[in-house]
Amino acid sequence: MTAPLVLAVPSKGRLQENANAFFTRAGLPVQQSGSDRSYRGRITGLGDVEIAYLSASEITRELAAGTVHLGVTGRDLVEEEVPDFADRLDLVLPLGFGHADVVVAVPEGWIDVRSMADLDDVAADFRPRHGRWLTVATKYVNLTRRFFHEHGIADYRIVESLGATEGAPASGAADLIVDITTTGSTLAANALKVIGDGVILRSEAHLVASIAANWSGGARGALRTILDRIEAEAAGRSLREIRADVIDGEGAAMVAHDRFGATAPFGTGLGPLTLHCPASKVYQCAEWLRTGAGARSVTVTRLDMVFSATSPLAARLLGRLDGQMTA
Amino acid sequence: MTVDSAPLRILLSEAGYRFLDPPILSDATVFLEVAGEDLRRRLYMTSGVDGRELCLRPEFTIPVCLHHLATGDAHRMADYAYIGPVFRHRIGASGEFHQAGIESLGRTDRITADADVLALAIDAVGLYGLDAPDVRIGDSLLFSAVIDALGIAQVWKRRLARAFGDDARLEAAIERLSGGKSAEAPAHAGFLSALDGTDHEAAHRIVEDLLSIAGIRSVGGRAAGEIADRFLEQSSLAAGAGLDDRARAVIGRFLAVSGTPEAALADLRSLATDENIEMAAVLDSFEKRSEGLARRGIDIARLHFSASFGRRLDYYSGFVFEIHDPAGIGGQPVVGGGRYDRLLPALGAKASVPAVGFALWLDRVKEEAR
Repeated sequence: MTAPLVLAVPSKGRLQENANAFFTRAGLPVQQSGSDRSYRGRITGLGDVEIAYLSASEITRELAAGTVHLGVTGRDLVEEEVPDFADRLDLVLPLGFGHADVVVAVPEGWIDVRSMADLDDVAADFRPRHGRWLTVATKYVNLTRRFFHEHGIADYRIVESLGATEGAPASGAADLIVDITTTGSTLAANALKVIGDGVILRSEAHLVASIAANWSGGARGALRTILDRIEAEAAGRSLREIRADVIDGEGAAMVAHDRFGATAPFGTGLGPLTLHCPASKVYQCAEWLRTGAGARSVTVTRLDMVFSATSPLAARLLGRLDGQMTA
Repeated sequence: MTVDSAPLRILLSEAGYRFLDPPILSDATVFLEVAGEDLRRRLYMTSGVDGRELCLRPEFTIPVCLHHLATGDAHRMADYAYIGPVFRHRIGASGEFHQAGIESLGRTDRITADADVLALAIDAVGLYGLDAPDVRIGDSLLFSAVIDALGIAQVWKRRLARAFGDDARLEAAIERLSGGKSAEAPAHAGFLSALDGTDHEAAHRIVEDLLSIAGIRSVGGRAAGEIADRFLEQSSLAAGAGLDDRARAVIGRFLAVSGTPEAALADLRSLATDENIEMAAVLDSFEKRSEGLARRGIDIARLHFSASFGRRLDYYSGFVFEIHDPAGIGGQPVVGGGRYDRLLPALGAKASVPAVGFALWLDRVKEEAR
């Protein structure tokens, strides 16, 4: 029997746009079935894959429960909603979008509070002074509790907040907040500042796999195909192709590998040398090829996809799934 | 499977304790208000139809005290006992387990009451074959007496008292109050040192003015004066007004005291004499408590006192003890107990009410082989 692999994709907002763009780049165009309102879809050409459109927090929960195999969701939600996420989920790959920090922010007027240690002092003195606990408004109840515990802060209460958390100190609903921020401008507009060592988590959207899902037959084959394309896209995104008419191809390839982490995917035979170089090292590498390896011309091109015979991502994840099944 | 608790029920009843059976489904707020947010991760939470947060009772002391407050004058004498299931999230163990214990409320002969309760706890574990248990005792009043005598400012005393019972945190607090050793320079160091030497009232006004001139809009639930206070505390710490070398040395010597109650008492008396620390009253109480235990047939040479042993829940107010099974695993106590005179006021009593008790983990004892 061939149960399909269920891939959960965010159903709205920028996360959906970014996720769709990502899958399209990776050669996995997602198609909503029937009308725009449908919550199911397919990937063109991959019969073994079913798309489920869910909210990001539903995706996290369904992954933890094993009812979907793969999903796109934020790391913040994974760590907040799945306490033992390291056992139940595999954060396969960061996707390069949906960046946000979960931070502890206090009113700007607290000029005496710059570190979590300061906050601990304030929390401890708060109850004797005010006859109530210091209160923290947040929707990240678990992350907050874990982080405060790590910093030894015990004298506080959480006020659960399901929207406009940043307004809580001004409205008197809480004394400080733990919330997500991308640019900090919402915090600043509400006269709040982030505590120096108060960054709980730097989050970004991830492709996440469920360890608990049923990975038999069709799902496993589909996983291999999806990861192969995603990996090829990720490699294409992070690498540049450099071609240069160096004098000694083999020698130049060795130096380029040692100094810039570049590889020669097609060997060092006749004709110009072809290198795949990490994007961050391209300029240094191009410079050296001319000054150090005698090249007269160096060309650099972007790569859409880089497929290789081995797939470390799939090998690692499949290895983990196998380990889980035998355990 | 739980051990047979019938003999324990007889023992506690015959000692004059009346059994209570408080409801399992409880208002969660009261536990969180007393113990703090950190307890939440161990509670089995649920909610009522009105949205009120409820939990399965995680322990008996608070429900018993609430019953006491609801049924009469808070200060009347009453001795309660309980046996039943409690519920806490635990890793690698069932979240439902049984506890038994007592709460002795309203006895103003505190020292005798302390000894009575520990003696009864030792009898109780004896029912389960623990004839020679490890008994650890401590007393936070001794620590308070030492820091009182050192003339430490109120705010630093509170900070030290709060860390007492957790060696690593206490050490970090001492380090911090010793000044100059903190990882980062205090905020606005230049301004702080300029304030140094200014009289306190004037400095207070300067900081408050500064906040209002800066147009600081939001201070949450803290008043500007409160922020100024703490700002000045930092300033005085930076200026070396925290713990001096002598205070550190005395606290260090005190915390290192451990051994039998007799040996510890001798050490503490010589510490008091050497350092000229006025703590005769608490030392006399300590001695009287040991004598009380000896009179009840307890071999006090088997007790282990440690000056640094305490509980960080701030309703504990003095004497604390733990009973361990020498053959037990994981270092978890079979019994935990102590004095908690500050709990009833936290639950609504008008003034402090003498209270002492213990809880026995029935999942950590074995049926005695017959």
